[in-house]
Amino acid sequence: MFVQFFYTLRERGIPITPTSFLRLHKALRLGLITSIEDFYTAARSILIKSERYFDLYDQIFAHHFKGVALTDPETVELTEVARALLDEWLKHPAQIAAALGVDEKQLKKMTPEELLRYFMDRLKDQTEEHHGGNKWIGTGGTSPVGHSGYHPGGMRVGGVSRSKSAIKVAMERRYRDYSLDGPITEAQMGEALKRLRRMVPHGPKDVVNVDKTIYETMRNAGEVEIVFDRRLTDRLKIILMIDNGGWSMDPYIDIVQTLFNYARSQFKDLKIYYFHNSIYTYVWSDPHRRYKPEPVEEFIRRDPDTRLIIVGDASMAPSELMHRNGAIYFDQREVIPSIDRLKFLAAVFRHAVWLNPQAEEEWHYTWTIGIIEQIFPMFELSLDGLEKAVKQLMARH
Amino acid sequence: MFQEKNPVQFSGASKYVLDDELAQIVNISMALEMPLLLKGEPGTGKTMLAHAIAESLKMPLLILNVKSSMKLLEALYQYDTLTRLNDSRFGDSSRDVSNIEAYIKMGKIGQAFTTDTKTVLLIDEIDKADTDFQDDMLDVLDQMQFDIIEIDKTIRAKNRPVIIITSNAKKDLSDPFLGRCNFHHIAFPDADMMRRILDVHFPDQSSEVLNACIETFYRLRDIRGVEKKPATRELINWIRALKADPDFKPKALAKGVPYLGVLFKKSGDMGIVSQSLNRMRF
Repeated sequence: MFVQFFYTLRERGIPITPTSFLRLHKALRLGLITSIEDFYTAARSILIKSERYFDLYDQIFAHHFKGVALTDPETVELTEVARALLDEWLKHPAQIAAALGVDEKQLKKMTPEELLRYFMDRLKDQTEEHHGGNKWIGTGGTSPVGHSGYHPGGMRVGGVSRSKSAIKVAMERRYRDYSLDGPITEAQMGEALKRLRRMVPHGPKDVVNVDKTIYETMRNAGEVEIVFDRRLTDRLKIILMIDNGGWSMDPYIDIVQTLFNYARSQFKDLKIYYFHNSIYTYVWSDPHRRYKPEPVEEFIRRDPDTRLIIVGDASMAPSELMHRNGAIYFDQREVIPSIDRLKFLAAVFRHAVWLNPQAEEEWHYTWTIGIIEQIFPMFELSLDGLEKAVKQLMARH
Repeated sequence: MFQEKNPVQFSGASKYVLDDELAQIVNISMALEMPLLLKGEPGTGKTMLAHAIAESLKMPLLILNVKSSMKLLEALYQYDTLTRLNDSRFGDSSRDVSNIEAYIKMGKIGQAFTTDTKTVLLIDEIDKADTDFQDDMLDVLDQMQFDIIEIDKTIRAKNRPVIIITSNAKKDLSDPFLGRCNFHHIAFPDADMMRRILDVHFPDQSSEVLNACIETFYRLRDIRGVEKKPATRELINWIRALKADPDFKPKALAKGVPYLGVLFKKSGDMGIVSQSLNRMRF
């Protein structure tokens, strides 16, 4: 039973073990699951082990048991768009009935399924944005599909309801924010970056090493000999270089800000530098890139074990990267093309990564990304990419 | 051995508002005799759930608070060598010094195994411990037995406890560990749920006050840049503070928020919140 369901979950990348699948069947055999609602909750708690996959599970569940189309990750999701629009429109319930030309009594009779279908039909009919119309859905427009508060006896969109069918719960996609491609929060970033640490003994010797003490005491024929050790502290050095110039980075300010906040509060030995588009003779330690320049050549004096993290979209005109006079500022007379600066940094710091806030699918559109990718291992600035980047930074070379 | 059909069903407790989904998951985990792993933001009631289960099923609750330096042995049993040494020197206790078993003290897991009644075992904040601890512990819980090396004796569970494990997701848990648990993520309660939670805690409070408080609370939670968002616990304490204030009127909440310090506990957060409150007002 449900073998296809199991394989669909696996194919979509949710790690599910056969053991847990068997356990689900045990639950079925015990007679614990009597309805599809039970099955939805039971299967989720038994099969899925992380809230990051809850969203994907919801989609697959809706697909498998209701035939809802599974969207490819790349395509725009109609249901999601619909849901967002719906939420927006529902803020103006008064106009709903009138605008649709359906009176309230009729709306009352429609089942939630009918409502949903009605809504989706309307949505498909509608091809352009529509304000204040009376048939299609748009701002100021109306629909019987709404929050329970607005629709008499209607279904609820968003929020939690107790009398909802499992499929609708699944289609609601409550866990979208927790999924791998959801927006990244500081806490999640923390989880990903936690592994970025190197514990080394440091400071005064003030911790008793019990094992060694016993050993030394025995060697001393029973005369107590206490052995002290240094405490383990995190001594990882990190240099963060942020591209903070130009409009091309503007869409990513939020996410970079999150990373920056987290890094500043968590890493003891952190140096932050700024650059614009690419790295030339100098990077700056003030965000305005004016007062405190730091010659890139000086970085050779730094500890080569320092982890270098460069954050930038790596998108620029090829000449900015390859030509000797590439810098877009006229007062920066360059002798060495930027690409050689990058190669220099990559050679100095064995542990270096480039985090790119652009989605990975879009990378191949930009020529310079391809070039820089050959110099630094490049990762997407997402939860997934961050985890891979940390792995790369902590790997032994 | 544990195959007896379990008729007990969990359906909420006096101070705990349970949603259907979670009740279902708890019941399934009990029937399958598997530990239930709960994840979620602080303040979503992970720990409270175990208390509620214990209360409603009338089972004793054993709490194992996991610490980062904890070794599995501490959770199982301890061999009290010091007392034995003391007894052998001075010999004024009723214990038999030659009997090592008299000096074995059970840890929380050991207690859960050896008591005569079925217990609820809460393993709180498992993510603090290292991976080895987690894996080893799950082995013990899986087989429902462990060995006491000192006296070469195997302790088997008399009753399989109901096991609830909580995690704040500070660290990722290992795959083998996850493989042996049922999993649920408790989302932060929405306004309706919060209303029901507050009704349980403040049964005699007028709904006008509670609604105004909830509305303000969610507005404050939405302020961006706050590091530690207030949770259910803070909201309850905050309403308590408001109740204690005789001058408080719910309408005043629209103008300004008193006792911000109850809700926000970091000075940075306080700054951000009062700034954005000022901006909202003008």
